Parts: sequence; structure tokens; C-alpha cells
Amino acid sequence: MTGDDHDHKHCLEMFEKLSEYIDGELDHAACAEIEKHANNCVACFSCMETLKRTVAICKNVKDKPIPQEFSKKLQEIIRKVVPKS
Amino acid sequence: MTTEKNPTPQQIKDKDFDLIQAINAGEVEKFQDLVKRYEAKLYNFSLRMCRDPSDAEDMIQDTFLNVFRYLKNFRYETKFKNWLYKVAASTCFKKRRKSKFAPEKELSLDEFRPDDEAEKPDHVPQWALMPLDKLLNEELAGVINKTIITLPKKYRMVIVLRDIEGFSTTETAQILNLSPSNVKVRLHRARLYLREKLKGYFENDR
Repeated sequence: MTGDDHDHKHCLEMFEKLSEYIDGELDHAACAEIEKHANNCVACFSCMETLKRTVAICKNVKDKPIPQEFSKKLQEIIRKVVPKS
Repeated sequence: MTTEKNPTPQQIKDKDFDLIQAINAGEVEKFQDLVKRYEAKLYNFSLRMCRDPSDAEDMIQDTFLNVFRYLKNFRYETKFKNWLYKVAASTCFKKRRKSKFAPEKELSLDEFRPDDEAEKPDHVPQWALMPLDKLLNEELAGVINKTIITLPKKYRMVIVLRDIEGFSTTETAQILNLSPSNVKVRLHRARLYLREKLKGYFENDR
């Protein structure tokens, strides 16, 4: 937090829009407002960076391979239902 | 499961278009190819949706059986993948209604809102600054998967579709029959919940 004129209201406003900011869903003016605030508020900057990192981790989580046994079981089930053409 | 009626529907010719055309034209054995194409994606989606792995298997089976049953009604008004996830989400919600779980709790923004009086961070933690590839490993993937499963389903469904499966806000809204603003509200709360858990993991548990 920097400066005595820091207004906690701005922190709360920014906090509510962080996901939309990260997703590029805000207009230019709203983005500029958030960036200006984050540059002057370490707490909000930290909040933004940790949320960005959370999203990035989710986007990069690798899938597990489907177990062969279940894949075969699924094929069998489908085979029973799908009529022969 | 039917698609919305539109007097002048615009067909979306995605990578599945030819295969679906062939199946609907009578080459029904090719349905297995469609299953093969999506079984791994759907397996992971189902594992994240169902707390019990056997429920996840049931969900995949029911989803593919529903897709087979209603494929003739598919009008290519959306990508097939989006329609598949719509069927999967619907199957998942129906399963839950049949179970005897207590109503799931709401996540309030107040739970995560920064407190004026509380001790505020004076720096960005290392886990948010270090290169992402140095952070990603199996253990972290396990933490994410285990944490996601603890989210109430309405939030879990949104964060999985948006941040793991990669659907847009509009696509997620269509898949779940929600408004885009509702998707955004749920997504923000789900991300904040996950962030709190990750903070705990990086700062205390490792």
C-alpha cells in the first residue's frame, strides 16, 4: 500500500473485476484504471498476480490418460447399443 | 436432448462434421470413432465433476449413450464438442439430483474480499513470480484436481469448462444454460477459492 490518500474502496472495486481483467473482457478505460491502481497498491498487485497465476496453473494442468480397461469396457457398452449397419 | 430451433440455422463445419454426417447417414459403427475421439477428454471432465470415480464412469457411459440417442437431432448450430459437453453437463446435473446430497453451499465474494484492517501482503509471493514451467508438476496437478472437487458443483462446472477445458464465457454460458454474467460471477468466486487453497499449499503445506 502506498500513500496516505490510498482509498480502500478502489481496492474493492478492482478486486471485483480482476477475473474479467485477466480474461481481457473489460474495456480499455476499465483496464487502464485497474493498471493504474495496481501500480500503486502492492496488495492489489499481489492479489492480481496470484490470481493470474492460479488461472495459468489451471490452464496447464495435464489430463490423466483414460485407463485401458475402462476404455475397452466403454467400447463394449457402445457396441451393445449401436446396431450394425 | 434437442438443439434450439432456428429458421435459418448456420451450420458449423468443425472437425467432427464429416464423421457425424457419416454416422447419421447410416454408418453407425463409426460412432465408436467419435467415442474414441472424445473419451479421454470426457474421462477427465467426469473425474473433475464426480467425487466418486465410479460415478465418473457412469457419467461418461450415460453421456455417450445420450449422444448416440440424440445425434440425429444435432443441427451443427454449435461445435459438436460444445454440444457433447452440454449433454455431459446435463447428465451430471441429473445424476446429482438423483443422489441424496445436501444442497451445496454458495460461495460469497465477502469470503475472499480484502479486508482493510487485515494484514496486507507487501510483496508478490514467489509462486506467482517464478517461471510457470518450474512450478508445474504432478503434485501440483493433484492439488488442483483435489481442490476443484471440493468446490460446490455450480462453481466447479464453470471453472472446469472455462479454465481447464478452455471454453469461452459465451460457450460456457451456452453449455450450462446460464447468462454470461452469471458465468463470470461464478468463475471469479471459484478462482478466488482456488487461489486461497493454492496460497495455503505454497505457503504452508510444501
